[in-house]
Amino acid sequence: MEVDVIRLLDATAQNKDAVIEQVIDTTRQIAKVSDENVIDIFKREFDQIARPQGKTLTQYYYFGNLRDATDDKILAELKTNLDGAVERAKEIIRNRVDQYGLTEPTIQTQGSRRIILELPGVSNETEVRHLLEGTALLEFKMVKDEDVALHVFQNIDKYLARVNKQDTSATDTSHKKADSTMANADSAKTATDSSSTAFDASNAANDSTTASADTTKPDSLHPYAGLPQEEQRKRYLADHPFTSLFYILHQSEAGSNFDEYGIMNQTTFPKGNYLFRTDDKNKRKMQDILNRPDVRHVIPEDVQICFSAKPDPTILQRSGQNIYDIYAVNSVPELTGDVVTDARATIDPNSSQPEVLMEMNSDGARDWARITGANIKKRCAIILDSGVYSAPTIQSKIPGGHSQITGSSNMDEAKLLAIVLKAGALPAPVQIIEEHTVGPSLGDDSIREGLISSLAAFLGVVLFMIFYYARGGLVADIAVLMNCLIILGVLAAFGATLTLPGIAGVILTIGMAVDANVLIFERIREELATGKTLRVSLDLGYKRSFRTIIDSHITTMLTGIILLQFGTGTIQGFAITLIIGLLASLFTAVVVTRTIFDLMLDRGTHTINFG
Amino acid sequence: MRFFKKTQIDFIGKRKFWYIVSLTITTLGIVAALTFKTVEYGIDFKGGTELAFRFTNPIDITTVRDAMDKGNFEGAEIKSYGASTDVLVRLKDTGDSSMVNRIRENFARYIPNNSLLNQPPRIVEGLLKSDKIGAKIGGEQRLQAVYAVLASIVAILIFIAFRFDFIFGLGAIISIVHDVLIAFAAVVLCNGLTPWLNLEMNQGMLAAFLTVVGFSINDTVIIFNRIRENRLIHKGENLIALMNRSINETLSRTVITAGTVFIVLVILFIFGGEVNRGFAFCMLVGITTGTYSSIYIASAFVVDWTIRVRKIDVEKQYRDSLARQQQVLV
Repeated sequence: MEVDVIRLLDATAQNKDAVIEQVIDTTRQIAKVSDENVIDIFKREFDQIARPQGKTLTQYYYFGNLRDATDDKILAELKTNLDGAVERAKEIIRNRVDQYGLTEPTIQTQGSRRIILELPGVSNETEVRHLLEGTALLEFKMVKDEDVALHVFQNIDKYLARVNKQDTSATDTSHKKADSTMANADSAKTATDSSSTAFDASNAANDSTTASADTTKPDSLHPYAGLPQEEQRKRYLADHPFTSLFYILHQSEAGSNFDEYGIMNQTTFPKGNYLFRTDDKNKRKMQDILNRPDVRHVIPEDVQICFSAKPDPTILQRSGQNIYDIYAVNSVPELTGDVVTDARATIDPNSSQPEVLMEMNSDGARDWARITGANIKKRCAIILDSGVYSAPTIQSKIPGGHSQITGSSNMDEAKLLAIVLKAGALPAPVQIIEEHTVGPSLGDDSIREGLISSLAAFLGVVLFMIFYYARGGLVADIAVLMNCLIILGVLAAFGATLTLPGIAGVILTIGMAVDANVLIFERIREELATGKTLRVSLDLGYKRSFRTIIDSHITTMLTGIILLQFGTGTIQGFAITLIIGLLASLFTAVVVTRTIFDLMLDRGTHTINFG
Repeated sequence: MRFFKKTQIDFIGKRKFWYIVSLTITTLGIVAALTFKTVEYGIDFKGGTELAFRFTNPIDITTVRDAMDKGNFEGAEIKSYGASTDVLVRLKDTGDSSMVNRIRENFARYIPNNSLLNQPPRIVEGLLKSDKIGAKIGGEQRLQAVYAVLASIVAILIFIAFRFDFIFGLGAIISIVHDVLIAFAAVVLCNGLTPWLNLEMNQGMLAAFLTVVGFSINDTVIIFNRIRENRLIHKGENLIALMNRSINETLSRTVITAGTVFIVLVILFIFGGEVNRGFAFCMLVGITTGTYSSIYIASAFVVDWTIRVRKIDVEKQYRDSLARQQQVLV
């Protein structure tokens, strides 16, 4: 997984303007393809882009504990923060994984912003993926008055309409947008299934009796009065590239019907309750528009536009369509998830729906009491990872630091949500960049294959050595056996995972270990052939071949070390077993066999058959 | 038991012939490999998703391919994955978490008479394994692989030059390059010859190449060591005679070690599982050429360098000394 540290850079920057945003965007682009340290990229881009315009880092970053802040000090502080963020992310993920209850997970950091997880025994990967990737940033934000929301939407419209008209080629795209949003425009204006079901649903939510879909054209279509239908639609879409992507329902007073409402050029908007809704496709389009840097400037700094995290369940059930609510909320949260001390998933007795109950610490409870007390009858959006889970109206002051999140589709989801809230929010989003899953059956197969091949290799070598080197070969076999045991022992001591390539490494070491013995025995044979005594031959054999053995083992180890440095996880496993095996073989071939021979000689053996 | 009695093969004398053989095989191999086939990268180096599925009954690759085409999974590669019931699906996209389910639904739709094996908890809905690698990582790994090979060559050159002479270092490097090229050509050419011969370039293959380098240098070092030793014992002996003697003396050991490793690799190839098969194949080719190159190429290069660059006509000296020996015998 990779921690999105650039998001942190973005979040900690203050007094953001177009310049710093450009620097951050460029850094993000470069970081996508390079593994260079993000701070280095950032510094370079800042020097290239922002400094010529007379900007310094001190204008954007302020750290309370830093006196005499210079750009270099700020960079150093940023670096510490980012490294700390990766560490914190690792801890939080560890917490989540622990709570989820997997056996023996391994979690390590790699490089400047990567985390490697090994999770054996996972049965539901999708669940685990959700568990890991969710930032779990919980925020309580007050919903803005509808007035504010409507004005913001109107301003976006005006801005985009102007920009689109200026760009002549863009009129083609707005035509295309018109075509594709035609469907939505239709559903918003005429009584099609989707709007009527949304209509029914919103009526049902307000406990009013079912009403027929309201098909009266809003007054605000008068600007286009007199033009043919087709032309009216085209003009409407060109003038309202943003608001045409969603529809607005307006309820003038509690209990009355929800009527469709259109934003035109009004300066004031009627009072009442509003619902802003859209579907999947248009939600994505809206998000694209809202993410544009130029559009971000049109939206006031204290306003943020969010979408509901889940589609409306009643509409989903009734018509299978995903319809999302749109909210305009305060940018600055009243409260964030770090005040949450406990989270529990239960079934709400009143609604029989799963919900997550949260407890806050004393500071949080106090703040929450103040916030709820000061905002009675206003709505507070509970936002998790920028998706609005619910936006209940505050009925009264809440003194005890209790809160709840509704909107989970089932109990499992609620439990996952509780885990994630309890373990804490990730300081920056993480993204899974590399993922390997091996099913248990394949795992079993692998173990079987590994065992069979190891045993077969070992047996093959043992038999050959006895055949070729007689009793000497037997001694060599003992050495090879010890070799394998040492490798396994070292691996176990370090808690390393044995992979199939790792087994290949062990098998290869068996072959290589034989080599050392062969070297020694060939030399001993040579010496024996020149008529020297057994003891002297053994001596000379070992002495003469020692240098060669060292050289050859070192060179093979060199490639092993290089593999260790440049390879990925499984290959590093291979390299490690190879290196351990080579070191062990050095020991067993030279020391162990020698000792055995010495023991044999001391016992009085006069000849050892070397074949 | 002895396979080799005292041998006296004139390795160096015959070197010109073997140069030609080596050159031919290497160039033919590389040219053939690159014209008739392309290098196939695994997702380790390309990025993408790899999913292994198991069906209840033996399945034909073309059936699966058709199903993926009908389901509009662009650029999906389908391969057999060992058993006749197993397939490997490779996609360029890393996709989202719903991809596996979409593929499952696709199979259910277009392969109605052969369902995915579902035997929880061993096999859940047919999925044996899944690997996803982001494209950025894939690209990084390619670069790392190149660095790895270069680094190993440099490291070895330095080490050999340090322990022996610089020329020996060069000779060693040439024999290594020769081995890697032939192994590379073999891998690319034989890729996909049979369904179970899946020889794509992935991390395992890289490990194989580097291990081939390690082994090849192993052999070469042993011969060089003997040469150095003999130089001290038989001072003033002609270079060619020296080398021949050294190679003959170590021949027994060289062949036996190569033999044992060969057997071990064959076992790995047959029993070691899908994952290790490509590795074992590459190493089998590499070990064979490695042994050969240590005997014929590395030392021979040193001789020719001495003749042409140092302008010491060791050959004439060798022939002269042989002639003298003949005279003595007569």
